[in-house]
Amino acid sequence: MTPDPDERDLRAAEYVLGTLTLTERAAMDLELAVDPAARAAVAAWESRLAPLTLTAPEAVPGARVWQAIVEALPGTTSRTGPANDNRVLALSRSVRHWRLIAGGVGALAAGLALFIAVGLRGPGPGDARYVAVVSSGGEAPALLVSIDTAAGTVRVRPVGAQTPTGRSLELWYVGAGQPPKTLGLIGKDAQRLALPATADALAAGTFAVSVEPAGGSPTGQPTGPVVYSGKLIRE
Amino acid sequence: MADDAVLLRLIAAVARGDESALKTLYEQTAPKLLGVILRIQRDRSAAEDVLQDAYLRVWQNAGSYSPEAGRPITWLCAIARNRAIDVVRRKAEVQGPVSEDGEDWVERLVDPHDSEGAILGRDALRACLGRLDAMQRDCIVLAYCEGHSREELAVRYDRPVNTIKTWLHRGLSALRGCLDAPA
Repeated sequence: MTPDPDERDLRAAEYVLGTLTLTERAAMDLELAVDPAARAAVAAWESRLAPLTLTAPEAVPGARVWQAIVEALPGTTSRTGPANDNRVLALSRSVRHWRLIAGGVGALAAGLALFIAVGLRGPGPGDARYVAVVSSGGEAPALLVSIDTAAGTVRVRPVGAQTPTGRSLELWYVGAGQPPKTLGLIGKDAQRLALPATADALAAGTFAVSVEPAGGSPTGQPTGPVVYSGKLIRE
Repeated sequence: MADDAVLLRLIAAVARGDESALKTLYEQTAPKLLGVILRIQRDRSAAEDVLQDAYLRVWQNAGSYSPEAGRPITWLCAIARNRAIDVVRRKAEVQGPVSEDGEDWVERLVDPHDSEGAILGRDALRACLGRLDAMQRDCIVLAYCEGHSREELAVRYDRPVNTIKTWLHRGLSALRGCLDAPA
C-alpha cells in the first residue's frame, strides 16, 4: 500500500472535524505523536476551520472548574520534593494526568501506556542498528528495544516491564503517512519480531508500544492512549 | 479576549511550569473554550469536566506548542474540541437529529460576537463554504461545530454512512482547494 497524500490529508481533515470513528481517531493520535507531516496536516486544517470555532458563544465556567484544575496539577502535593529533571517531571506529570483521566480504564493508567521511538534514520539503508530504553514513569527501565534494519528484526527484551493485569503490550510500526501496523504482542521473555518493511522504507518509520486489551487490540489499530514518547539511539 | 501576543507569552510561561500564568490564561480563555465544548457536549456539568481536562492538557503540552502551527487561540480551542469529541464519541450511542432548528454557524461568521481577533481568515472561510454544495457544507459545519458523527449525519439526512463520508471528503477537498488558492 503506497501512502496517498490526499487520503492522509482527508484523514487529517476528518480528525479535525471529529468525524473519524473512535478506532480511526486512536490510530490518528498515534500517527500525530510520531509523524510531523501528520501534525502539519492537522494544524493546517485547524487553521482553515478556526474562524468557525470562534463563532461559539462564550460561557463562563463555574468556580469549581478552576479549583479542580489546581488540585489536579502535579506537584501541588509534593512541592517540597527535590527538583526533578524536566523530562522526568514532564513524564510523571503525564502519567499522573492519565491516572486522573483514565477513570474506568483502571490498570491501564498505572503502567506505561505507550512509548514511541522516532528518528530511525541511518546514513544509508540496511546498515543501522538502534536501541531504545523504554522506561515507565521515569523509573527503572521497562523494556529494551533493539532494531536491526539489516537483519529486518526488532528485538524486545522486557526488563522491569509490568503489563497491567488483564492487558497486553503490543508493538506497532508506523510507516510514513500510513496507519499503524501491528508487529505482535510483547511477552514476558525476550523475543524477536519481524520488521514489516524493507530497510529503505523503515528509515521513514517509527515504532510504538501500546497497552491493549488481553490478546491484543481488537480493532487492528492501537487503542491505548499516547502518554510518552522517546527516541531510538543509534548503536 | 486577549490578543495573540498576550496568549503567546502566557503559554510560554505555562510551559515553564508557571501556575499563575495558567490561571491568567484560564481566566482569559476559559469562557471561549467552554463555549466551544458546549456546542458539542451540551450537558453543562460534563462540559465543565471536559474544560478541566482541556486545561490540564494545556499545562502538560504547553511546551510543545509552536506559533508556526497556528494561532494560540486556535491551539487552545483545538485541545478543547478534541477532548469534547473524544468524550462524545466514547458514549457511542447515535443521537437522533436535534429537534429545534440549530444555530446557523456560517451566518455567525459575518458578525461573530468576538472582537477583531476573530477576523483572520473569516471572510475567506465564509466565501469558500458558500461555494460548497449545501448538503456537503451543512455536514462539515454540523460535524465541526456540534460534533456530529458520520452516523448522526446519516440519520439526519437519511442517507447511508458511506454517502456521508463521500460528501465530507468532497466538501473538504473543495474547501481546501478554495482556501489554499492564491487570492
